[in-house]
Amino acid sequence: MSTVFALWKRGLKAFVRNRVSLVFSLIFPFFFVYVFGAIFKNEFIDNPVAYMLSGVIITTVFESSLNLASSTVDDMVSGFMKEVLVSPVHRIHVAMGQILSASTVSTLQGVLIVILGLFIGIEFTSILTPIFVLLAMICVGIVFSGVGLYLATVVRNGQTFQIVKTAIAMPLTFISGAYIPLSLLPNTLKIIAYINPMTYATAFFRMIVLEKTGLSAEQLVNEGLAIEINGFIITPFFSVMIILGIGLIFLTLATRSFVKTDFSRLNRSKNDANELWS
Amino acid sequence: MKAIIDVSNFTKKYGNFTAVDDISFQVEEGSIFAFLGPNGAGKSTTINTLCTIFEKTSGTLVIDDKDVSKQKAAVRKAIGVVFQDSTLDAKMTIEENLKMHCVFYQVPEKEVEERIHFVLNLVDLLPERKKMVGALSGGMKRRVEIARGLIHYPKVLFLDEPTTGLDPQTRAHIWEYIVKLQKERSITIFLTTHYMEEAEICQKVAIIDGGKIVAHDTPYALKKQYTRDKAFITTKDMDALEVALKEYSIDYERKTTYFKADAQNMPALLQVIGEQKDLITDLEIKKGTFNDVFLEITGRKIREEA
Repeated sequence: MSTVFALWKRGLKAFVRNRVSLVFSLIFPFFFVYVFGAIFKNEFIDNPVAYMLSGVIITTVFESSLNLASSTVDDMVSGFMKEVLVSPVHRIHVAMGQILSASTVSTLQGVLIVILGLFIGIEFTSILTPIFVLLAMICVGIVFSGVGLYLATVVRNGQTFQIVKTAIAMPLTFISGAYIPLSLLPNTLKIIAYINPMTYATAFFRMIVLEKTGLSAEQLVNEGLAIEINGFIITPFFSVMIILGIGLIFLTLATRSFVKTDFSRLNRSKNDANELWS
Repeated sequence: MKAIIDVSNFTKKYGNFTAVDDISFQVEEGSIFAFLGPNGAGKSTTINTLCTIFEKTSGTLVIDDKDVSKQKAAVRKAIGVVFQDSTLDAKMTIEENLKMHCVFYQVPEKEVEERIHFVLNLVDLLPERKKMVGALSGGMKRRVEIARGLIHYPKVLFLDEPTTGLDPQTRAHIWEYIVKLQKERSITIFLTTHYMEEAEICQKVAIIDGGKIVAHDTPYALKKQYTRDKAFITTKDMDALEVALKEYSIDYERKTTYFKADAQNMPALLQVIGEQKDLITDLEIKKGTFNDVFLEITGRKIREEA
């Protein structure tokens, strides 16, 4: 267990030390709030800044969870994972440590935006709301850190990972309703949105932030906080189940794949390859 | 002395390619053992299998009475490894790297500080402990790795080409640390190298070529068996020297400007030199090197790093 904690601490330290990325991770969300908030004004929405921000917060958590898996790729390439490999630690603890640190860092980024958001439009009337907001962010953080770790063990190359990550994250965020309301999407994209887990994460998170948990399903659909597919309404409860289900699948895949990965073959060194094949 | 590493009939294949072919050897506890050979000879394959990274194809490998393939966790605890390439965490300080390693190896928390002090002192890096690893030079990084490989007090320390790619001065330093370590902590050191001269400080040397051990002995015995000291003599009168060499039946090669004579029979050679001392202008005795040993055994020179 101390291994998990040590790796978690390591991830946090790396995050705190990298001030530039910290600052930029905060600039982007507000840029998006400004741009998309201005473009997609919608009369159904009574608090557009909070509406946009909630979507942006959850996508930030999502994106940075995926992003942080690239530090696992770095660890593989730099050889640090090889050191782990010859030590008596359980690999599953290493996987847990990496997932935990990634989800903590991404949640922290989300929290920072929430705090800044409190000054420009987000309002919490209930003491329970911030707690639920935090829990939801942690949940999304862990789920997508698992997805990220799985990708990392499959891709195992820094540059390829960046490309794969962008190719996955971009469509998932843009067709999730976070920036662009789903009602404005053409039908084909709507279908993609329905199979996009981020759609449900966004809708659910937005409902919490806007404190609309008391609304009926139909009202939620009207406000764009629940998804209706051909008359079938995906309730917030169902959304949570979808996210947790995906989380369970990918956390299992990630840990399994991580435990099985042969890190010794990932070495950049030419010598090693020579050693093996010459 | 007890054998701390015991390898018998170890074979490792990659598909059809046999990297290590049925080798057997033992390493005595507390000794420095060198695995010598060119790139691709099977050195790293052997070391990686001993370090529980690779799976053997067949044979038995035992470290400290534990089977390498069956008792991996116990073996991992008993060994320290310094790889050819850095496996440090560049974004953390030296101290943080060592602390992380202590967590991995379950070093009791009370002892961590003391051990960090001890290992950093050993490799002369105590003042740098708060420095970021990414900012260190190659030689310093290697020293950090050696320190880290020791901090859990392993019984065997594996060093896979510890001095490759370092400048001669740093190389000499690294060797100082290694010898100091063996003396102070009586730790067993298993290293691979392709620098012939480095093998001379070891107690036992195994020369591996093409996946087979072609020689296994003390450096002294190997040199004695496979090399001859040579005398390079330059003289004003080549013919007179040639006659003298023949008279004392010393083997020689006549080159254009000098003689290359066998220096094994020193009394005879001294006689020749005494007789010719007024004519001889230059004399150089060259000791046999490990390069000669390798050349003699394998019929070719060891390749320098590509």
